[in-house]
Amino acid sequence: MDDEIRTFADGRPAAPPYPEEARAKARERLLREAREGRGFRFPKLGWQAAAAFGVTVALVGGVAVALSAQQPKLGVATSAATQSAAVSDGELRPRPGQFIMVASDTMYGSFTQTSGKMSRYLYRTHREIWQSADASADGLLLIAGLKPKPWPGEPLPEESRKWKGESWMQLASCPDRLAAFRTDYAYLSTLPDDPAAMRALLGKRQPGEKGEADRAAFTGVGDLFRETYMPKAQRDALFEAAKEIPGVQVAEGVEDSAGRQGVALGRESQGTLEQLIFDRDTHMLLGERHTVVDAKAAGAPVGSVLALTAQLKVSVVDRLPEHAGKVEGDSSCVPQPGATADSTGQPSAPPTAEVTVTATAPAPVETTVPPAAEPSNSVGAEPTDSANAEPTVTIEPSAPVPTKTG
Amino acid sequence: MREDRHVVGVQEKPETLDDSALIAQSEIDPERFAVLFDRHADEIHRYAARRLGPEPAEDVTGEVFLVAFRVRARYDRTWPDARPWLYGIATKVVAQHRRAERRRINAMSKVSAERPGSFDDRSADRVTAEQLQPRLARALTSLSAAERDLLLLVAWADLTYEDAALALGVPVGTIRSRLHRLRVKVRRALGGIDPFAEEPQHG
Repeated sequence: MDDEIRTFADGRPAAPPYPEEARAKARERLLREAREGRGFRFPKLGWQAAAAFGVTVALVGGVAVALSAQQPKLGVATSAATQSAAVSDGELRPRPGQFIMVASDTMYGSFTQTSGKMSRYLYRTHREIWQSADASADGLLLIAGLKPKPWPGEPLPEESRKWKGESWMQLASCPDRLAAFRTDYAYLSTLPDDPAAMRALLGKRQPGEKGEADRAAFTGVGDLFRETYMPKAQRDALFEAAKEIPGVQVAEGVEDSAGRQGVALGRESQGTLEQLIFDRDTHMLLGERHTVVDAKAAGAPVGSVLALTAQLKVSVVDRLPEHAGKVEGDSSCVPQPGATADSTGQPSAPPTAEVTVTATAPAPVETTVPPAAEPSNSVGAEPTDSANAEPTVTIEPSAPVPTKTG
Repeated sequence: MREDRHVVGVQEKPETLDDSALIAQSEIDPERFAVLFDRHADEIHRYAARRLGPEPAEDVTGEVFLVAFRVRARYDRTWPDARPWLYGIATKVVAQHRRAERRRINAMSKVSAERPGSFDDRSADRVTAEQLQPRLARALTSLSAAERDLLLLVAWADLTYEDAALALGVPVGTIRSRLHRLRVKVRRALGGIDPFAEEPQHG
């Protein structure tokens, strides 16, 4: 006896199609949120603390290769004081069980829609990510808020002040589930070293929907290069493959946020030219730059820069760093106990879900999830971990200093 | 043949994943969540547009996926299809526009009476196509917000009772009994008259 319901079903109003522009905007907004990092939500630290975002960089017993901003090129050849055979020809040779650590500074657009009003600004972070070289152990991600910048031609919205403090997150490792989306060194080493095969792979890895294939392929290039390390043969192949994607433009002398110049592969998307900047010789990713080429589509004047990053350091370490603060757990895959191959033989303490090292103020943090959108069961704002760490070491975001012990 | 093997491995995986696996993937690779958007955004938008009209629907759709992204860790992985979950979130987001929805329903419930008889046919068709028939709109005003949510999830989003239970976070039995009460109310509001027979005669 569903007559009444059928009456409503049959009488449902026609729905207009989702306008392409609104759809693209919503999707991009989602992607930007995704890039901001796994649920990082403005820990409550004052700017005083944030300015000295207390990062204890203790690369215990590891091989650290410094690639600071002072160096003209992000070559991996620069060896630290103590070095092992891991670096010989300028290439890192991570062993199973070790971690690849990448430090970067980023600036991307942040968009918030509050009751129909869009507020936007450019949020900036310093990121340090540790990923198991062979996906055998969980990784770790540090995101520290840097002072935001206004959207070109607009005042800095009040909410941008929330972008401060730091947050530590566990990155669960589940290579089986990630499959073709793995970004660990062991997996990347298996990618084709031939540009044509690599190009074919890009097409298959993220098959774009209707006419989006080229864009998806270019996105894939960024995903594979960003915060990763792969052997030179694969870097070269991926670089050459990216050049072959329709719409990709090559530009010389493009600067990353650390002022280093490189060769850029760029592609236009929604009014901005999205460039990946590479070291000309090593094809290491230096950074990214998004420049407005269509004011109307981008919502900012032509020539203004809406994203600018720099990967400052890529190194191999034996262990995850010790740090003060709370680690946001990542329960996305079953933890792999004992998988932390600690080649130093020292007892290691990889962070596991919900481990609290020194959590002083787990203050509830304002979330951007509207309260009304928190239903009883499945939907709700995730609790936010506030990493209120007492800064022990202060490092300049522009030139992280690798520390090596052991 | 390393490359060949690799390519085969890749082909097995990508877009054939169900929603649940995709959401799991997005925990490690957050940008993967965009695939979920690609899959379901149009449908959520349609639902939002039916309930609130085209303009609010754009905001609502974006908001639904942002909320979903933020709470994806809580997704119940035993459900391969994320639609009920997304509709549950959509229901909450739409609820933030309750006043607007009430205004819209009230307005639509009066359209028929106020519409001039000489109204251009084609434009009248267009108007009615995107609007709810006045009788149905009036019936909707007789329901509570929660009843409206349930009715429209079933009638407009085509959710099964099980899906609706999942979306609203209540047992299926509760859904059945609520629907029963709701039907009685609707029947009374419709006065037992076929709304399709009545409406054109007003024009």
